[in-house]
Amino acid sequence: MNPVTREERHWFLRCLAQGLFEYMGAAAPPIPVEGLLQHPPDTYREDFGVVDMYSTLWDATFARPPNGRGSVFVRIDLKPAERRFALAREVLSALITSRHGRAMGLVQLLMADLKDSAEYFARCLVVPEPLLNAFRKRGGQQAELAEKFGIPSGVAGLRWEDSPA
Amino acid sequence: MSMQALNRLVARSIIDPSILQAFGAGQIGQVLGELDFSPEMRRTLTGLESGSWAEFAIQAYGVVKAAEKPAVRIQLPSPMEGLMAEQEQKRSEFGQVA
Repeated sequence: MNPVTREERHWFLRCLAQGLFEYMGAAAPPIPVEGLLQHPPDTYREDFGVVDMYSTLWDATFARPPNGRGSVFVRIDLKPAERRFALAREVLSALITSRHGRAMGLVQLLMADLKDSAEYFARCLVVPEPLLNAFRKRGGQQAELAEKFGIPSGVAGLRWEDSPA
Repeated sequence: MSMQALNRLVARSIIDPSILQAFGAGQIGQVLGELDFSPEMRRTLTGLESGSWAEFAIQAYGVVKAAEKPAVRIQLPSPMEGLMAEQEQKRSEFGQVA
């Protein structure tokens, strides 16, 4: 695969997040990321799931047991905003390693910069472009973004900067 | 419009396996035909050679972006212009004297 710039990769990730946002049909924030994992598109029936876990190691991690359904294993004691973002971030790993994602060529495109890709994708998924634009049009300010979309404030700050008005 | 169409196509491809099937079967042109691409852009995109759908999408992004970027033209006045005006003036002054 030819080298891909960060801008190209981010554009692609924005499109993927937009596709999932449209599937969810969310008309207003917060985005039901956990609902997406529990009721995934048919294409990902064997790839999406959520399992609560007691751990102090990670906030969340995606794992695919051999011959089993892939799931995001998420720490049970996270605050709702942290949980939403952690789940959204791990959705990308579920997509990349799914049958459909592998057929799309996501492994070759995204594995090299997985951390940056996963966090950018998650920001776009929890604050989709159309809802961000609507929020801004109604006079929404950066300081209110985290509360409105139910995400950590650091994530909201980065999302605001990702997509300047 | 082409970029919006491409955004929609790539967004759809994450949940719609029919796009990937069409791409794999060498029939992406048919899918592009349903979207708001100009005939010329459709031909260009159909002719892209890529090893995967993701690679195709990235290549298509580059093509569409380049096509949508307004052509930058630097329009500086010709250095001759000032001289010509000066010459014109001298010529008319000379004519008046004569």
